Amino acid sequence: MSESQFRDVGDAVSDESYPDIDLALRRGRHIDQHDGPWYTYLLDAAPFLEPFYRRFGAELVRVNDGYFYLLPTSDRLGKRHLSVPEMLVGQTLALLYLDPLTIQKGGNVTRDEVLGHLASVMGSEALIRALHSKKKRVDERVAQEAVRQKVHDALRRLSTLGFVDLLNGEQLKLRPALLRFAESVRGADSPAEALAKLVAKGEAVLGDSEASEGDSDAESSEGAPEDAEE
Amino acid sequence: MFEPKLAVGTADPARLLAELVERKVSLELTTLDLGFVALLAARASQAGLASFTEAQLSDAFELTCQTMDPSLDNLKLRATHAIRRLREQRMLVRVDGAGVVRAGEFALSRLASAIVEFFLEEEVLTRESLTLLTRSLLGSLAEILQAAEAAESDDAWRSGVTAPLRVTVNELISGIERRQRGLDVQQEEFQREMSKLLEVDWFNALDRCQSLLDSTAKTLRELNEILLRDTHLLLNLLADVSDVAVQRARPDVEAVARRVMEQIDRIAAWGSARQRAWSEYYEYVHRYLRDIVRLDPSRALTQRLRSQLSEHSARPFALTVAAAPPLRLLRSVLPPEPPLPVRRPKREKEDEPELPAEPARDPLGELEAQIAELLHQGVTDLAELTARVTADLALSEQFLAAGRVAHIVARLARPPVNNHRPWVPVNDGLVIEEWRLKKASAGHE
Repeated sequence: MSESQFRDVGDAVSDESYPDIDLALRRGRHIDQHDGPWYTYLLDAAPFLEPFYRRFGAELVRVNDGYFYLLPTSDRLGKRHLSVPEMLVGQTLALLYLDPLTIQKGGNVTRDEVLGHLASVMGSEALIRALHSKKKRVDERVAQEAVRQKVHDALRRLSTLGFVDLLNGEQLKLRPALLRFAESVRGADSPAEALAKLVAKGEAVLGDSEASEGDSDAESSEGAPEDAEE
Repeated sequence: MFEPKLAVGTADPARLLAELVERKVSLELTTLDLGFVALLAARASQAGLASFTEAQLSDAFELTCQTMDPSLDNLKLRATHAIRRLREQRMLVRVDGAGVVRAGEFALSRLASAIVEFFLEEEVLTRESLTLLTRSLLGSLAEILQAAEAAESDDAWRSGVTAPLRVTVNELISGIERRQRGLDVQQEEFQREMSKLLEVDWFNALDRCQSLLDSTAKTLRELNEILLRDTHLLLNLLADVSDVAVQRARPDVEAVARRVMEQIDRIAAWGSARQRAWSEYYEYVHRYLRDIVRLDPSRALTQRLRSQLSEHSARPFALTVAAAPPLRLLRSVLPPEPPLPVRRPKREKEDEPELPAEPARDPLGELEAQIAELLHQGVTDLAELTARVTADLALSEQFLAAGRVAHIVARLARPPVNNHRPWVPVNDGLVIEEWRLKKASAGHE
């Protein structure tokens, strides 16, 4: 491991970029190489920040796929669970991230591709039931429009969490943190066992999140540094 | 003619498009048509043919059909239609000018040659071709600079400087740009190929993908280095040509040199832009190969994730993320000042009138003095006295003045008490009661 530029935690939090990074992490943002100086800072300061955040009841998690995030392990620091649309869209984006066809476009996909992929994997009816299931009889056109809207909202919220970048127009850039959605199926364990381990670590909860979708609107994290923007 | 009437580089884009619309330019070519054109180009090149007879065209078309789609019949008729289609689209041009006198001779147009070149001749920018082209450019520009310095006449400027800049240099630069576009296409092909290799062969495609990635990165790096080095030299030479043109008052040469400089800037910008873009792509694909392909040789992750997503309703779960409420920053608030009492706006006071510099006049005093003087002079009739005092006054003021005169006279010289006081006219508009005053001591009794 290379020598850290920081001597201790005081030195690390005195860094100019720390306040922005701290606020972003506390708001659920995942920070990866695309965030440039933020990621470099965390690589350097992680040994000092990990025990520091532990005192707040949170783990600064560094994943080998190349990203950091803050995981609350107690109620001292605010936390939330991703909503059903966020989970479905997140897993779809992770599938697209793994798809070799995405390589052709340098990791970019369109919103329509996301929606198309989600519908093809889940099936249109199951998708409508999952995202618009409260009413028994719904107009198909209205339900489809509602699903599209929920997917767009979920994409917007996932972008504030650093899972995806919303580029100009219809384009999205997939980011490495999406692999968090595949964490439960990555190891040698069965998906159920892997999921149980994730729940035990506080990474996930079983069942659908009941958090209202509007709750997270105010959680838009600080923007990444300019030089890291696409 | 099919040749564009407007130069693409300088024409107004709206006019250019309007021109194309007006001429209804379009292209519609099947694979068979393209094959036919390609075969003609190959025969022209191999046999050194400048043109084809109708029989040669028909033969070539038949051979094309037999190779590309042996099931086709009526080849003669199809050949006629194919030749007509190509002529209508200006791919084939008749070059003999004999009309109906004899069967025509046809040649491939510049458009057809360009299409064949694009599809069949791999003209990609390589280290060797770029070096060769930039060296030729440097040589040409050095000669042009010498010619510019020695040019004495219009003809010398035209043949030694302007024409080579417009033709030789422009062609060489166009050659570089064409090859750049070729390399762009090749990169797209690489990206598609890598994607296809992984799709088909996943883990086994790893080394091939890595090698494609590395070779393209190396090519781009080398090209960018050459471009950085040589474009600097080229721009210096062009700047010298431009300076000479300015000194000799040749704005036409200066304009041409400036245009060539812009072309070279564009070439250099291409190099750095492509390298930057490729470097991002390289990083992304490299990470993909390392983190995803290497760690998941059997590509099981995708299948498991797909199952997880399709069964999400049966086994739902949700990831946890930090969501600390935003910090509440208290602002320092100043209490508002009490509202001002309601008041009527003050009217501005009128300015004090300025006092005249002269002492105020006393009209009554003056009148009294005038009457006293007249009495002293011996005037004894009130009518005469009034007439003299009011002589200069307007008619409207005479009545008032007459009253004042009577009042003053009564005070200064007591009039005698008579029973009969006749009314006499003072002037045209005024009649008064006549008083006869005593003479001499009149005013001071």
